[in-house]
Amino acid sequence: MSHVDDGTLHAYLDGELSPAEVQGVEAHLAQCPACRGRLDEERALITRAGELLALAAPPDRELPPFRAGDMKPLTRLWWKVRLPLAWAATVAIALGIGTYLGRGVEQVPQAPTASDTQPAELQALQAPISADTVQRESRAWLRGAARTPPAAPAAPAPAARGETQMAVIPRDTALSAATLARAPAPQAAFGMVDGALVEKASPISLDSARALLGADPLAVPGAPIRTMYRAREIGYSAVVIVEQALDSSTVIEVVNGRRSPLALDAVVVAGAAAPVAQADSVRERAPLGRARIADSLAAAPAAKAAARLERYETQNRGLRRLGDLEVRVSGPLPSDSLQKLLRVVQPVKP
Amino acid sequence: MGSSAPQDLAEVYRTTYRALVRFLYRKVWDAERAEDLAQEAFARALIHKPESARGWLFIVAANMARDDARRAARERRHLTLLTAEPQESTLASDEAVEVESDRARVRVALDELSPRDREVLLLWDSGLSYDEIAAQTGLARGAIGTTLSRARRRLVQAYEAGKAGEHVARG
Repeated sequence: MSHVDDGTLHAYLDGELSPAEVQGVEAHLAQCPACRGRLDEERALITRAGELLALAAPPDRELPPFRAGDMKPLTRLWWKVRLPLAWAATVAIALGIGTYLGRGVEQVPQAPTASDTQPAELQALQAPISADTVQRESRAWLRGAARTPPAAPAAPAPAARGETQMAVIPRDTALSAATLARAPAPQAAFGMVDGALVEKASPISLDSARALLGADPLAVPGAPIRTMYRAREIGYSAVVIVEQALDSSTVIEVVNGRRSPLALDAVVVAGAAAPVAQADSVRERAPLGRARIADSLAAAPAAKAAARLERYETQNRGLRRLGDLEVRVSGPLPSDSLQKLLRVVQPVKP
Repeated sequence: MGSSAPQDLAEVYRTTYRALVRFLYRKVWDAERAEDLAQEAFARALIHKPESARGWLFIVAANMARDDARRAARERRHLTLLTAEPQESTLASDEAVEVESDRARVRVALDELSPRDREVLLLWDSGLSYDEIAAQTGLARGAIGTTLSRARRRLVQAYEAGKAGEHVARG
């Protein structure tokens, strides 16, 4: 009998031969030391190739839940509902909710929302926050809120939702759609954050947020986290938006931006550069790459981007730097309330 | 693989989602993007209800990854790139740097395979059977073993050659 060819050896080792073929191969191997030797080599080759491919595997993440019935319709609902909702929320807030931060001044009689549903955590906003409280509460939201936002555990008692329910319910639905079905990303949402256009991408887990930012994302302690999104914004290498519910009808966004490590706000690349330097060690490559990029940079776009960023910072007093991160808070609240919230943001710890 | 009523598709999702992400990742080299595309493929499967969902998903995913790569290439020509990959920039430790450069070496090595060899290898590594690979690529079933043996050999050789080249270059 002739020797077993490579392809047959691989099919044999892959368990893809028919029983009859297996018999034939084994009969030959039994009486052919050369082919037995090759069998060992090919087995080692298969193992090695598998190891190499495993080196280039994506990070192993939790399987996002799959709800067949929900996937498409809810995805649509999400985009439909979100925009009007922003307006609804703004109006609702302008009418009543905005009073909650300034409610020391005046107790609004028809807003039981403020006093009855005021979640205990919110008091953390007014009272000085001890690091301990923050830690414990952060853990509490993470366990429940971040993973399954619709069931936000610390959510205020639903009893007193009253007039604001209209705005709240679709929002909840929308959120569950986004989180459970992970809206297919191609249609990105554009959120207006302090007048800047931020492109919101898909919802992400806390782990992903941490990996993207290279640090714990910052959030307002005591307010349940509804969802986190990845977003893109010029000047930042990573942007994560943490959506938090202050009460049953007020949702704020804490925008965490990680400044571009190149400190160049826009890098214009002319021509599709292949990732040539991939093979070099990343560390060796970095300074070299920086110099090269700086050389090839058109001055104008960089200056424009820098100007844009500066304008941004002056326009929005609500920008705070903490370590590598720049944070701002946006939401349907008066700007001084947002400022207060910005002052209390804390890292979300695992 | 049979029909794909929603409950069947839920089962396919459970068993195939990660494999699909893995497959896509080796094409788009961005974990988030790979996940988005995989989700999109499943969303499409819900609408189209293909006979053989698993194979169908991989075909659709391959097409989406190709379109994605084309679009990315087009955009790179005249768009502003934000920055380096966040993944890359957040890594700091030696170990992390090592992991990243291993990944890059494998990526370069994979690029040296012929498109057909690479496709067969990636499909096999994503858990498809010879039958499924044959159906997807149009190759004869009997040719899959041969293709895989060649692809694996080239991958390992290209990787080792790349590594040796780096050492020479560094002196």
